[in-house]
Amino acid sequence: MSERTAFRRGSIVLLSLLMTVFTQAFAEERTTMDPRLVTPGKLTVGTGDPVYPPWMLNNDPASGEGFENGLVYELAAEMGFDADDVVWVGQTFDQAIAPGNKPYDFAIQQISVTEARKQIVSFSRVYFQPEKAVLALPGNTLENATSYDDLRDARWGATIGTTDNDYLVNVLGVTEAAIYNEQVDVFQAMRAGQIDGTLISLPTALYVTAVQVPEANIVALLPPDENDRGHGLLFEYNNPLIPWVDDALTAVIDRGVVEDLKAEYLIADPDLPIITE
Amino acid sequence: MTDSQSPQTGSLGGAERRPPPPPPGRSFNWREALAPSLISLISIVVVFGVLAWVITSAEQWPRIKLQFFNVDAMIAAFPRVLQGFWINMRIWLIVLACILVLGIALAVIRSLRAPWFAPFRLMVILYIDLFRGLPVLLLVLLFGFGIPALNLPGLPSSSLFWGAVAMVLSYSAYVCEIYRSGIDAVHEGQWAAAKSLGLTEWQTMIYAVLPQAVRNVLPAMMNIVVALQKDVALLSIIGVRDAVREAQIYTASTFNYSSLIVAAGLFLLATIPMARLADYVTQRDRARRLQVGG
Repeated sequence: MSERTAFRRGSIVLLSLLMTVFTQAFAEERTTMDPRLVTPGKLTVGTGDPVYPPWMLNNDPASGEGFENGLVYELAAEMGFDADDVVWVGQTFDQAIAPGNKPYDFAIQQISVTEARKQIVSFSRVYFQPEKAVLALPGNTLENATSYDDLRDARWGATIGTTDNDYLVNVLGVTEAAIYNEQVDVFQAMRAGQIDGTLISLPTALYVTAVQVPEANIVALLPPDENDRGHGLLFEYNNPLIPWVDDALTAVIDRGVVEDLKAEYLIADPDLPIITE
Repeated sequence: MTDSQSPQTGSLGGAERRPPPPPPGRSFNWREALAPSLISLISIVVVFGVLAWVITSAEQWPRIKLQFFNVDAMIAAFPRVLQGFWINMRIWLIVLACILVLGIALAVIRSLRAPWFAPFRLMVILYIDLFRGLPVLLLVLLFGFGIPALNLPGLPSSSLFWGAVAMVLSYSAYVCEIYRSGIDAVHEGQWAAAKSLGLTEWQTMIYAVLPQAVRNVLPAMMNIVVALQKDVALLSIIGVRDAVREAQIYTASTFNYSSLIVAAGLFLLATIPMARLADYVTQRDRARRLQVGG
């Protein structure tokens, strides 16, 4: 009798213990204390170092001023994090795509989603699809370009890691563009007359022509490349957080946050000529 | 002296007294002959097997394999990387020719002894201090982006041209010092002998000293040749599409690093024969010199 009670009591204790462990583990998923986070309690976000406007202003992701960090803070709030719990990790593009464990939950760095890249890393849903802009200095032959054939004859430059070169190859058929490490090198080459122009996503181009290289002009817009799905958040391959972040991102996009941020930071000039063939 | 001579005479005396030992028999001991090769074979298999096992049992190995040793990606990247490598090879040969000529000219100027050469010697010393003291990477950036931006009429704006100029200037400083060490290593007596034959300083340098100096520095020079072959990849930062840049473009576009392995393979294919050639040349020179000396 007493043995039985003892056994019963013991099994009840064990069962309730197991229950609490399970429910706790499940209860903690999709909360700020989710054990699958790099640092539970914090949302660790990777980005470029330095960061460029208009994606992030003043080289300071933590300010929340800019299209991408603005989006991240909205996303964090949707997931239940305080603004103070968002931790930024600066990295180069090469570090972002390097194999192995990543020191952040996800990275945001205008990274384009493509099929080939999906074999190596995982992405969230796409949050933005920019148009491409052609940038050239005044007096360049590119100013008079009206067709893809005109564009093809120019000497092109682009930054490595962007899909700008993919666009040149896949859409325009330009295979010998000069490829530089940094965006600033592209403009230096343009000033030195080594290249005629560059292809760049429209928001970056607007900022560059307004602030960094005011003498350069946007001479034309080009339609998006269909192989380039647009910008997404980058995750380590098959990161279990993806469904949670995707749900939050969907909620944020449905609330119109991305449209607001676009209107605030990524304003396009409606009078630019568009070349489509 | 006497110590080293006494055992020699002793052994000679022994050989005279005793009949010569019988010639070694034709019997061949398979066990003795095979044991060392068998042991080294087993050792190789065990060591490399354990290494392979440790690497492939890593949790991340399947992903690393997909990202670095993906045969499909290698095939896809190969044509462009090869095209880039062909550019590497051409830059290398042209730059090398310029460096060898400029380097020897600088070394000769620095080694001439007549007093009225002093300002030129000083110039060469300044040149070497300047260009050997600056990182090649910095020079490539300054020349590749800086000089063309001046938009000087009559000068080419090609980044390839100015990058190559930067390589030539930097490497000539090193090569000059190597030549100079070779010139300094020529015995003082050679100068005296040439002078006694009535050769001028210039003639002494050209006909007596330089041929010996070049031979002295051949191994060191081969080293520079191999190093230069790889350093040509530095030009990729100023927009030259060499093998490394082509591989990086593929990597950046697909996040797949297999293209870098392709580039690495091509570089090894080119540098390993160079290294063997260097060994061969050094060996031959050494043998010839020892014969002459003996």
